[in-house]
Amino acid sequence: MEPVINLESSLSAECTSHALNAPIWRDVLAQAMTGELVAAMNYTALSEICDHPAEVADALEHAEGEQGHAAAFAAEGRRIGVNVANNIDAKYWKRLREAFMRCIADRDFIGCLIVQEIMLESFAVASYARVGKVAPGSLGKTFAAIAEEEEGHVEHAMAILKTERALDAPRFDDKVHRLHLEVMTTLAEMLTKECKHGHCEVCHDNCVKPSLPEVNLTPAELRGASLQQYLKTLDMLGLPGEVTLAWVSQLPV
Amino acid sequence: MGESIASVVARERTNGADFALIGHQETWRAAADVLAVLRGPAYPPLPDEEIKDILPWIPPRAVCHVDLGSIAGAKARGLYIDSFIPPDRLEPAYMRENLARVRGAAAYAIKVGAKIVSLGGFSSILIEGNFDQLPERHDTTFTTGNTLTVALIVQGINKMCALEGRNLRKSTVLIVGATGDVGSGCARCLAPAVSRVLLTARNVERLRKLAAELEADGARVELATGCQPFSEGADIVICAASLASPSLLLGRIAPDAIVCDAGYPKNLSSSAEMPGAKIFFGGLGQVNGGMTFTPDFHGILNRHPFPDVVQGCLLEGMALALEGRFEPFSQGRGFITPERVEEMGTIAARHGICLAPLYNSDGPVEEKTSC
Repeated sequence: MEPVINLESSLSAECTSHALNAPIWRDVLAQAMTGELVAAMNYTALSEICDHPAEVADALEHAEGEQGHAAAFAAEGRRIGVNVANNIDAKYWKRLREAFMRCIADRDFIGCLIVQEIMLESFAVASYARVGKVAPGSLGKTFAAIAEEEEGHVEHAMAILKTERALDAPRFDDKVHRLHLEVMTTLAEMLTKECKHGHCEVCHDNCVKPSLPEVNLTPAELRGASLQQYLKTLDMLGLPGEVTLAWVSQLPV
Repeated sequence: MGESIASVVARERTNGADFALIGHQETWRAAADVLAVLRGPAYPPLPDEEIKDILPWIPPRAVCHVDLGSIAGAKARGLYIDSFIPPDRLEPAYMRENLARVRGAAAYAIKVGAKIVSLGGFSSILIEGNFDQLPERHDTTFTTGNTLTVALIVQGINKMCALEGRNLRKSTVLIVGATGDVGSGCARCLAPAVSRVLLTARNVERLRKLAAELEADGARVELATGCQPFSEGADIVICAASLASPSLLLGRIAPDAIVCDAGYPKNLSSSAEMPGAKIFFGGLGQVNGGMTFTPDFHGILNRHPFPDVVQGCLLEGMALALEGRFEPFSQGRGFITPERVEEMGTIAARHGICLAPLYNSDGPVEEKTSC
């Protein structure tokens, strides 16, 4: 998979007018970059439990793509004059990674797809798309382009997961619910309007959430868009909407 | 959550849905109550500001299952689908967004295989002139439900006249919002039965057309597009469109006029401006053959002082499902005739769906009765 951004392209300071909001974009980019690195690690781990060579190749290609996304976000940081850090051991990301790795330990290929492609990618697609709409210039274009690519990942998994659900829908849905409780609870805590459980360990200084309105974003909008995308993805899988709505309504706020 | 996933999935697979009801919540309080039921008793209610942040992002979807019984023994199974139109976005400024939400709800109904879909409240108003905006459908039929709404309004007027000892034949009826689907249906039903009909609406061309139609059948008709007075005050008023203020009726109605608030949302109440008016909420019916919600949304989706009361527009699809007639009984605008109203009223009554006990914002106007 081609990275969406050519890293050889000019990194000359695109616009010094970003300077005022650069600390905000730095933290937004840091969250995105960390998420991409976690995804890359997840796909690499997934490749190790795949049975078929085609699946192995797919997983490795995805891992490479996610690394490309992380590099693209780092490049966007340099473009606006900030160093984008990442922290895959930050508390929420670590929990998300651990949930995925439990599926790996169980050699649960379907569980892995549900966590990565349905839950984490829903979050990525929706939040990147929102950032893409408001971020200026190249930064916005990069987020929008990566959002589109991530949507492709969801579509890729959908066919496999629909086939699996057709075999035993109640069992499949129970598995989604079990993973939802673990993964979506963590994501929901990440997405609360204010960080109630201390520093997320990704933002550079203080929590970026209160500053988001300065770049025409709000924590509520990022949360709402992410959960909407998640519900729509579960709809496409065929889970009953009244059930998934109850699940989402029970998430922490 | 009231049901296990397995039971919900099994229910969907084995039965599909005879009918679907598309609606939304009118107030933030109602929306909060819906979310509280969905969250279940183990979770504290969401703070109001969180509800206002969350609700606009919820895609249209089923909220609960509805099991319906008929006094004739028939049964039907359906879904209530909420379009999640935020209660503070009912104004025309949000028309495009709200249409998209209703389309989304319609697509959901089609996806779950509902045989007939009724459009409730604002959804019905949005779609009555925009049926072509609904998604392409295969085995799913849509009805605005306006014919049964008209039937229940007319029944309510007759009942209120009886309660108040009024002679309908000697009455002058004012219809506000007369060119809409419900307003014009009421005009066609009542014009032959009253002394004079006063019509008011914004579109003068449609008003003239309706007036000509009624006059051709022998009715005495006056029309007005604005607040100008008619030659005489009305004894009976049907507000088929929501009024911004009761003051818009001043000078046009008798002090003790019977006023049927059939608009959406219902917002008329006895006030200093019309203290003697006999106001009731019109277009509401009651299910007498049994109705259960899973999870239990009784009193939340139907917030009325009497049990099992539902808007007529929603009841139409339910009645047709009980009858096994999965057809677009009400579509478009201006096609409701007295014959169709009578037919729909008969179908509904056969299954125990009849006029709800009359009430207004102050409470019941009469003791509970059954059909």
